[in-house]
This record gives sequence, C-alpha cells and structure tokens, in this order.
Amino acid sequence: MGGGGAFSVACTAQMQIFIQTLVTGIVTGCLYALIALGYSMVYGVLKLLNFAHGDLYMVGAFIGYFAIQWFGGATALIIPVPLLIIFMMVVAGLGVGALGVAIERFAYRPLRNAPRIAPLITALGISFILEDSVLLLFGGFTRNYNAPAFLPFRQSIHIDGVNIWSVQIIVVVVSVVMMFGLRELVNRTLFGKSMRAVASDREAAEMLGVNVDRTIAMTFFIGSAMAGVAGVMSGLAFGQISNIIGFLAGLKAFTAAVVGGIGSIPGAMIGGLVIGLCESFSSSYISSQYSDLIVFALLIATMLVRPQGVFGQPPLQKV
Amino acid sequence: MAPIGVDEWVARSGDRREQNSGWRGLLARLDSRVGWWPRLVLVGLFALVYGKLLVGSNINYAQTGFNVVLYAILALGLNIVVGWAGLLDLGYIAFFGAGAYIYALFSSHAFGNLPLSTGGVQLPVVATIPIAVVGVGILGLVIGLVALRLSGDYLAIVTLFVGQAFAEAVNNVAPGTLGGANGLFGLKGFHVGSAMIGSTLGYYWFAVIVLLILMAFLHLLDTSRTGRAWRALRDDPLAAEVMTIPVNKVKVMAFTFGAIVAALAGTMFAAQQSSVFSTNFSAQTLILIYACLVLGGAGSIAGAVLGGVVVTVSQQLLSSPIDSAYLFYGILVIVLVARVRPWRHLAAVVAAIVGFGFGVHAIVGAISHRAIAGSPGSSGWFAGALRHFVIVPAGSPLTYGNLLYVAMICMIIGVVQLKGIRRLVAVVPTVYVAICCWEARLTLDPGITAQIMIGAILIVTMAARPEGLLGTRRVEVL
Amino acid sequence: MAPLLELDQVSLSFGGLRALHSLDMHVDENEIVSVIGPNGAGKTTLFNVITGIYQPAGDIRFDGKSLIGRSPHRITGMGVARTFQSLRLFLNMTVKENVKAATYGGTRATPIESMLRLPRARREEREVEARAEDVLGFFGQRLQGYRFDQPAYVLSYANRRRLEIARAMATGARMLLLDEPAAGMNPPEKLALRELIRGLRERFDVTILLIEHHMDVESELCDIVTVLDNGKVIAEGKPAEISRDPKVIVAYLGSGGGAGEAAEPLLAGLE
Ligand SMILES: Nc1ncnc2c1ncn2[C@@H]1O[C@H](COP(=O)(O)OP(=O)(O)OP(=O)(O)O)[C@@H](O)[C@H]1O
Ligand SMILES: [Mg+2]
Repeated sequence: MGGGGAFSVACTAQMQIFIQTLVTGIVTGCLYALIALGYSMVYGVLKLLNFAHGDLYMVGAFIGYFAIQWFGGATALIIPVPLLIIFMMVVAGLGVGALGVAIERFAYRPLRNAPRIAPLITALGISFILEDSVLLLFGGFTRNYNAPAFLPFRQSIHIDGVNIWSVQIIVVVVSVVMMFGLRELVNRTLFGKSMRAVASDREAAEMLGVNVDRTIAMTFFIGSAMAGVAGVMSGLAFGQISNIIGFLAGLKAFTAAVVGGIGSIPGAMIGGLVIGLCESFSSSYISSQYSDLIVFALLIATMLVRPQGVFGQPPLQKV
Repeated sequence: MAPIGVDEWVARSGDRREQNSGWRGLLARLDSRVGWWPRLVLVGLFALVYGKLLVGSNINYAQTGFNVVLYAILALGLNIVVGWAGLLDLGYIAFFGAGAYIYALFSSHAFGNLPLSTGGVQLPVVATIPIAVVGVGILGLVIGLVALRLSGDYLAIVTLFVGQAFAEAVNNVAPGTLGGANGLFGLKGFHVGSAMIGSTLGYYWFAVIVLLILMAFLHLLDTSRTGRAWRALRDDPLAAEVMTIPVNKVKVMAFTFGAIVAALAGTMFAAQQSSVFSTNFSAQTLILIYACLVLGGAGSIAGAVLGGVVVTVSQQLLSSPIDSAYLFYGILVIVLVARVRPWRHLAAVVAAIVGFGFGVHAIVGAISHRAIAGSPGSSGWFAGALRHFVIVPAGSPLTYGNLLYVAMICMIIGVVQLKGIRRLVAVVPTVYVAICCWEARLTLDPGITAQIMIGAILIVTMAARPEGLLGTRRVEVL
Repeated sequence: MAPLLELDQVSLSFGGLRALHSLDMHVDENEIVSVIGPNGAGKTTLFNVITGIYQPAGDIRFDGKSLIGRSPHRITGMGVARTFQSLRLFLNMTVKENVKAATYGGTRATPIESMLRLPRARREEREVEARAEDVLGFFGQRLQGYRFDQPAYVLSYANRRRLEIARAMATGARMLLLDEPAAGMNPPEKLALRELIRGLRERFDVTILLIEHHMDVESELCDIVTVLDNGKVIAEGKPAEISRDPKVIVAYLGSGGGAGEAAEPLLAGLE
C-alpha cells in the first residue's frame, strides 16, 4: 500500500509540472497566435514581411504599462481591476491599430509597386525607429506590470495542485474570442470579402470596385490592434517589458504564421500554439537556454519539409 | 493586354531616368562615364591619401577608416547574394560571425580551455585566414544547399533564423570554448613568424588591399559567365534554368562566395578588435550592412563601397556632438534643396523658417523667461547661432524633448500626406520642431539617435530612390 | 532515319486534370512542325514536359537519348531550346547579356578562372561575344549596334519576341521550340515572322517545333501540322489536309453538327 501511495504522489508531481508547462505553453501560444494573425493578414494582402509588427506588440505592452501608472500604479489602483483591464486593451488596441495604419500610410503605401526588396528594407527601418524611439522616450530599462499586485495569485483556480492564474484564463479567453471574431469578420463581412479579394489579386479587386487603400488600411488596423492587445496581455501574464521584446516575439510569431501556413487564420492559431508549447516544454524539460534555438530549429525543419507551411497552399506557378 | 501596359510603364521609367537632373543625375552620369580601372585607381588613391594625411594624427580616424573598409567589404559580399543573385539572405551575419569566431578560436586560448595565461593555439595569419575562409565557405555551401528548397520571402525568414540561431548558439553552446556571453578576448593579431600587424592603421592598410583586390575580382566575375548567370537567376530563375544555367548550383555558388567574403571580413574584424562577442553579430549589424548595400545600390560594386563609406562615416559623425550637428543640418539642407523647388519657394521656406523660429522664440521668451533659458545641445558655433532661435527650457527637461520628438514624428507624417502649397506651409513649423527636437533631445543621446537616423535613412532611401545611389532602376514583372 | 524528337505515350496530369494523355508524336531532322489546338489543349504543357519543367509518364527521346529525369538546363544543353508564351526575358540585363547568359552551358571556365582571366576564360569570353553578335545579327538592325547595351525592358513587344528567339539560339540549339511566336503580332509582322522562321532553319540548320493557336500565315511553311485537343493528338498531316479534317473542325467548334462553313474563318489564311 505504502509503495503504491508513494508512486502515485510522484506521478502527480510529474503531472503537475506537465500541466503547468502545458498551461504556460497555451498562454504563450495564444499571444504568439495573436501576433501571427496580424503578420499573416498583412502578408496576405501586401505580400510584405512586416518586420515592424513585433515592435507594434512592444508598443502595445508599453501603452498598457502606462495605463496602469495613469490609474495610480499596480499597488494603488484607483479604478476596479476589470475596468482597468478592459481600458488597457481598448486603448492599446486602438492606439497600436492607429500606429499601424499610420505606418502603412507613411511608409508602405508609396512602395506598393516598388521592387520586392524595398518595402522589406523599409520594414526593417521602421522596426529600428520604433525600438529606438521607445528607448529614447522611456529609457532602456526593464519595467514590470506587477500584475500579481492587483490580480493576486490567490485568485487562481486550484485543481489538484495545479494552479491556473486568472490572468492566464483572461489571456486564453480574450485570444479565443478575438480569433473567432476575426474569422467571422473575414468570412462573413464585406470587409472580409474585400480583404480576400485584395489578397488574391490586388489589381483585379481594384477593377471590380474594391477600395484597395481602405481595405489595406483596415487590415493593418486590425492586425496591429491584435498585436497591441497581445502586448498588454503579455505584460499582464509575464510582467517584464522593455523596448527590445518586440523583435524576438515578432520573429517567433512569424514562425507561428509560417508553420501554420502563411495567410491562413486557423493555421496561425495552431502555429502559435505549437510554438508556444514547444517553447514551454523545451524550457522546462530540456533547457531554458536552448529553448529559442529549439524553436528556430523547428521553424527551419518545418520550412524545409513543407515550404508553404502545414496549412498553406503551395503557390501555383504557370509557365 | 498586360504586356502593353508593361511596355508603357517601362518606357516612362526610361524617360524618368533620362530626366534625372541635379546631383543624383550627376552621380549617375559620373558612374556611367568613369571606367573600371580608373575607378579602382580612384578608390585606391583616396584610401592612400586618407591613410597618409589624416591617420597619423588621430587613432579615431584610423578606426573610422578601418570600419569604412570593413563595411564596404561586407557590403560587397552581401551584394553577391542579394544584389546579383537576388537571394534575400538575412543570415549573412552568421558568416561574418563564423569567420570572426573561427579566427578567434585559432588565435586565442580558447582551445586550451584554461586560465588565460596558458594553452590554446595561435596560428599565423597564413593559416587562420584560409581556415576561416574554407570553414565558412563550407558553411555557406551547406546553408546554400538547404536554401535550395526555399524561394523569395521564405528564404528570407529561414536565413533570418539562421542568423539569430548563430548568435544564440555562440552564446550558449560550449561556453568553455566559445566564451558564452563574455566572448573571446585577448586575441593575437595577424602575424607571420615575428612580424605582426600591431596598429589599427596596419589593419586599415591590410583591409584596403583586400578591398581593392576584391573589387577587381568581383568586377571580373560580374562580367563573366558566372556573373551573368547570377543576374539571370535574379531576373527569372525558370528562364535561367531553361537557358542552360544550372540554377541550383549557381545559387549555392552565390551563397558560398558571399560567405567567403564575409568570413574574410570577420577575420579582420576579430583581429583588429582583438576580441569577439556574440553581440557583435546581432540583427542590428545585419541591418547596418543592408543599409550600406541598399543605400549605395544593390547590384553595383561601386555602390556597395560608396554605401559602406556613407553609412559608416555617418555613424561615426553621429557619435561626436559637433560632427553630428554638421550631419543633421547638412541632411536638412540637402532634403530642403532636393525637395523644395523652384528656388524662390526654397528661399521663401528658408526665410519663413528663420522668421518663424526667431518669432516663436521671442514670444515664448516674453511669456516665460525660464522656457528659453536652456542652451542648445550642439556645441561650437552652432550653439551660439541657435541660442536665440530654438526653444530649450532651463535644464532642458527630458519630457519637453520627448514631446517635441513625438510632435516631430507626427508632423513629418503629416507633411508627407499634404500636397502643393499646403505642404510648403507645413514644412516651416516641421523643420523648426525638428531643429528644436534635435537641440533639446536628440543630441543628448547620440547612440540612440544614430540608430534612429539609420532607420530613417533606410526608409527615406527606399521611398526616394529604391535603387540606391549608384544602382540602376529595375523592372520586376511578376 | 530515326526522328530527332520522339514522344512515346507521354501523359501528365495536374491533380485530376489530364493535361496530356498518352501522347505519341515525332519530329524529324530539319522539319518545321506546327502544333495547333484550342485554349487549354495542352500545347504549352507539351513544351514544358519536353524541356523538363514537368516530369511526365512515358518516354521522350531526343536524338535517341531519353530526356526523362533530366533537369531543364541539361535538356537545353543537349540541344532543345525554347521560347515562352508569356515572355520571360532577363529584363534587367542588356540585350547582349541576355544572349550571352544563354551560353552558360556551352562554356566551362570556373569562377576562379574568370576572376583571374586565365586563358580559357578569355578564349571563351571571346567566343561568347562572337556568338552573341552572330545570333543577334541574324535579326538585322533591330537588335544591333546601340541596342546591344540597352536593357531588355526597353524593347518593344515584337523585339522582345525576337530577342527570346535569339537567346534560345545562343544555347547552341539543334531544335527550337517556339511557343506562339506570332502572338500579339499584326499581319505584316506575321509575314515577316514566317520569313524569319524559314531563315532560321536555313541559316542555323535547326529543326523547329512551333505552337500556334490556330492555322495562320506561318502554317504555310510547316511540313507537318499536329492538332492537339484535351491533351491528345487528334490529327496530324500536311497543312492543307488538316484544314479540311472534320475532327479538327469539331475540336474548335464543339460537337455541334454542320459547323463546316463556320469553321472557315478560324482556319483562314491557308487558302
Ligand atoms: N501548373 C499547372 N497547374 C495546374 N494546371 C495546369 C498547369 N499548367 C497548365 N495547366 C492546365 O493544363 C491544361 C493545358 O494547359 P496549356 O497551358 O498547356 O494549354 P495551351 O494549349 O498552351 O493553351 P493556350 O492556347 O491558352 O496557351 C489547361 O487546362 C491548364 O489549365
Ligand atoms: Mg499555351
């Protein structure tokens, strides 16, 4: 009997670690998926690798941080927590969305017919400017949302020794809602139709009366807004933010988009989850040092086996 | 009907080129007039004069000179892959880094894995450079082979990851040998027997010779069957394959050649710095190399070298307050002269800016003396000239500068959207805010400003002249 | 005499779509053969499988050697060169460089030799230069002199078609596949093209396989016309016979009866 009991305890401890890792992976994955969606949408309509997208996520995280400061700071909030969270997400969504539209208008629109490399280089330039502008304005040190101060771990759900923090639930719920909202938007609305039309052939869409400029601007808005919200949620869930978090997050989100097949919405979701899980499992079971390397290796392997991603269609080339 | 449209567009693009006047047109004409050997001699003479006249006085000049040549070499290597073969390789930095690390391994105590005083191998330069070149060449070959499965943007992404993975790898793998985040230091310089390059100036001369030889070789390669195959590949891989060009082999060759050039640069970089760190090979450096190539003009040897000069010198200038002021106001003047036509408009705008500035300064001064009590960030005679022009509050508080910075960005975006006379009017306060922002904020953080300027240079170049200073305009039919 | 090009039960499908269906065909040395067929008949696909862009089932032999499994650059190196229906020039290279680029397979100098301009590289470079001028010279003034150093994108549509032919010839082709060379040309230009194709055969001793959409002026110079529909050869013979073949008429007009008169304009230009 005693031996059996010890065995079951050991088993649960392992299970706990496993489930905890799983939850972290899902939360990270949802965030990657949100960023990946924006990446994927922009790539869909413009065939542009928007390297600045990850930095928009970083800007979103900063907006959320300053919203907390505005309302008295993490330890002395002057408004109810749910209201604060909604406020942060709305402001970050709108602000980053607007920023995305401004970037498109200012930097990418003049280059619609330029050689492919031009907007790519511009995107790198924008990424530089965003990162260093934030550095200039707010300094390079790491800031902390300190979310546990107003959303205590005590409010977690405890199941059989596994703790699921309320913030983690918020992240998953908000992400899922946004993704389904986006899917409905793309599949059901006129905007969605225009977007798909522009993605498949911009000139033809224009001739058929689709307002291409507005569709592209709208795409940037939605994609950037999702990155902004993802920034806020990552601040809540992981705390630390700085001006350089965007590049790597953007890179991994793009991995997610590519693994899932670029241009595909469910692909981006699944890709995000895969990357998130991969990262959390490799850092808790193999080595946190190597987790980035493992994710990179995963990407490279996927791309080599299926260059168009798991869910993507191979491009048609007619001769 | 598409071909007809293309024809028309192309014809117009040709016209546009003919019409190119002003300094850009002059540059383009010069570029097409000056022949190949004179050009090489020109670069050589320039390097010689720079080395002889300026370098003796100041170590910084030697360092700048070396950096210029280093980046020119790096841009030349990148030009093979990106400019000629049209393969968007964002992992180029890994080849540079690998060259530097291989050199470091064979020139330090790394292999001894012991305290600094003992162990390790320190091979002479006649061994280290070949080892690095061959090693990285093989790496380029392997990555090129892997890259064969990918095209276009997918290639860009995967190579970007290769570059990131390199930095991660040298940071984490075998810290005992590769030094982890501490890097490898105390490297022995280029030496053969007892002869050794001991000064930055020495490395400058070495790099200049490498650059000249490389320029000559690459020119000869460009005009040979291999060069033609690369350029054909860039224009239309399928047609190239059908026209007897083994596209896969030629792609791998481009990767390998690019890698070899980067490795050469890497060895020089490591030897001159006598240390290597994984942070030397970050995405930032990669973007800098791209800036050189893109600014100078992808596809052009002279362009890559010119790009290296412009980008590196700008970076250097930005690190000193007085020089950065010259650069900032120089660019401002160039932009105004280039974009505001005709001359009477330019004169009116400049007069308006001057009037506007002194006017605003006087009004703000009348309201609050403290608001104008600060001194401009620029030093030297600029500071004196601008004292009664720009508004810098006492102690030049960061918040004020930050607000100006945000205002400046918004205004620039606004100006670009406007047209005609409205734009002319809007330019006046925008330039004024930009000057105030420069004096009150940007000069305080030169390092950050340099990065922002590099980003801005990339964006502006792409918008104004995607083919770069010396590149030729390209058509792409998808 | 064995045929120069021989297709033996060649089939190819795209997903469920059978683009080529057990195709048998042959082209003799020094012949000019025309392939005609309605849109989507599989004409271009036929060229694509011959030049190795797609791998079909069945066998294709050129000069007795099988082309199956060889990559396009090798096939062209063996002497089968082609042009494209939607032009595929190296637009940003000069006219002369376009032609020189196609001599890659015929030259051997390694990059090292080129960088050092060793004797072999120099000799080959001279030969390539002469070859390019020779091939371009065949097209008269249009592609010569100042044109040599113009980028290909400044050329007019008809000149681009000519340059594509020149480029294909520069590969040292023994057999030339022309995909709708007359597309987008007006009647006088088509007449000139006929002369040009005839001249190509005489001057360079090539066998020519050309695609046309329907029978037209240039069919006159063909020895054989092959009609393709739905990936199958439905008729083969002298031009005059083909224009009267009922199966051909049906292919162009659908299976509706009594289409004889209506077919005349489609097959015009022969009589
Ligand atoms: N890469 C491809 N993928 C899928 N289907 C293809 C592909 N290439 C051709 N097809 C299909 O194969 C069939 C034959 O095409 P092909 O281009 O050979 O026709 P064609 O006879 O040249 O017509 P046209 O006169 O329009 O040039 C068509 O139905 C076409 O849609
Ligand atoms: Mg066809």
